[in-house]
Amino acid sequence: MQAALHDRKIQLALLLLPGVGYLLLFFGGPLVSALIGSLRLDDGSFTLQWYERIFTRVTMLRGLQTSIYYGVAPVIVSLLVSIPLALLIRQNFRGRKLFNGLYKLPMAVPGIIVALMVIIMAERGGFIDRVIAPFGVSMPKLVRDEWGIGVILATVWKQIPFMTLIITSAFAGIPEDIRHAARSLGASRLNTFAFVEVPLAMPGITAALLLTFIGSMGSYAIPDIVGSPSPRPLSVLMLFEFGEGRFAQVYAMGMVLSLFAVVVLLAYYALTANIGVNRTKGDE
Amino acid sequence: MAALAETMPTARARVFHEDDRLLVSAGLYAALGLTIALPLVLMFLWSVADGWAPPNVIPRDYTLSRWQAMIADPGLLRAALNSTVIAVVVTFATALIALPTAWAMARFPFRLKRLVEIFILAPVIIPGLVVAVGIGQVFLFLGLSYSIAGVILVQIVGTLPLMIRLMTATLETIPDDLIHAARSLGAGTVGVVLHIILPLAVPGLLAGGLLSFIGSFEEFDKSFIVGAPVVETLPIKLYTFLDPYSLQLPIASIIAFILLLPALIVFVIAGRILRDDLMAAGMGKL
Repeated sequence: MQAALHDRKIQLALLLLPGVGYLLLFFGGPLVSALIGSLRLDDGSFTLQWYERIFTRVTMLRGLQTSIYYGVAPVIVSLLVSIPLALLIRQNFRGRKLFNGLYKLPMAVPGIIVALMVIIMAERGGFIDRVIAPFGVSMPKLVRDEWGIGVILATVWKQIPFMTLIITSAFAGIPEDIRHAARSLGASRLNTFAFVEVPLAMPGITAALLLTFIGSMGSYAIPDIVGSPSPRPLSVLMLFEFGEGRFAQVYAMGMVLSLFAVVVLLAYYALTANIGVNRTKGDE
Repeated sequence: MAALAETMPTARARVFHEDDRLLVSAGLYAALGLTIALPLVLMFLWSVADGWAPPNVIPRDYTLSRWQAMIADPGLLRAALNSTVIAVVVTFATALIALPTAWAMARFPFRLKRLVEIFILAPVIIPGLVVAVGIGQVFLFLGLSYSIAGVILVQIVGTLPLMIRLMTATLETIPDDLIHAARSLGAGTVGVVLHIILPLAVPGLLAGGLLSFIGSFEEFDKSFIVGAPVVETLPIKLYTFLDPYSLQLPIASIIAFILLLPALIVFVIAGRILRDDLMAAGMGKL
């Protein structure tokens, strides 16, 4: 027994067991059982009909589109805010340390509360509407609206700190020397930023993009509370089917959502692998 | 090129002057106030307003009766207790499960490491909703459906990846020499773990623990599917009050505050402990 414990391989297996074993049991297992469930009819025979429905029924197809839209649109808005914010935070301004602590606050705020805030602020008859009413202006419909503005607002509010944090660290991880080298070789500030810093920070930026995209694509609470009743994203439709007890359909929808997430992840790996190649080429 | 530089004087003149600094901080803090402080204040006003009809920008009458009624409500108390117990258990269980695995990931070179790394990350990639509906069958089999234990088990799936990654990043920084030195001075495995590894792992453990606590306390999607309507946590309770057809802003605001308070307290503590670089090492690369 003692001798076995000194064998590195057995040590490694024992150390990996708790974490990996747990995930195999409570993450891998359920996924596999969901995959099998999505391919079966009630009598146990093989079928693709649950998938076929997703890609033929109008509500489902629109649901899929809406899921992707709710994933992509907030990420774009967040990115447009986060990069300038990350650059500003790098600068030395008054109260920087305090700001650095405060801007991360939304990370601790649950999605449901964010949805509630959006209702309080932006709904018709909400706060903004009341403030601008004396000027004879009224709010367009922003909550449960066709374009999902409410969902985008809530999601962006929650995403920006996380994205900014990761992007700030990605920029901070670039050695000062490289920036100085680019500048002393005659590159302008703008060029240094666009062609030296951004590419080097790319792995961090894309990681942040990917994580926020996946998080908002699969989230349920925000689109259910402030999202339009039609079209509804796949996640909300999934819970509806779940409530109706059509589990095979739920599993199939879950698999499609997961597939999208995995495809995006693979695209990320392909993209960052390319960046790595270019970097080694540059070294030669 | 010279023309380009002339048309873009801002790119050249980006050195920060004293006035700029004031302007930048004023702008940033104003944005912070409008986007974060204002909604929070309004939410608080809703929770104490005694009627707040549309033309009024701020409520005219205030009352604490709803707060009193809500705090005395046994259902809410139970939900708060559930949330707290679940979050504490999830946090400690996550740390306990993550530590050995993170040590292996940080310290052992092995062939399938990249694969294991991707597998550990997978729960972050796959939507929690999918995990939760899939786990339903497993729990039915294990007799854990609609139980607090089930909610705890499914939440750990969500908190474990971040904890393992944070701990791996922390443990990687412990120098080998330190462990060798301890060993050559006669420390056994237990001694090394207790006196060297654990103390040096404290920053990562605290950061991961606080994030796990917040993550569990506010988790909704998975707990809702596995636990509701039998197990009620604070987010599940809040959700029932946000139904568009029976929306009750005052009561929803009160629950939101009760839910938000512990998270904010933990977050203020975390802000002092949590280092950005550690966080980025955990999530900045996939």
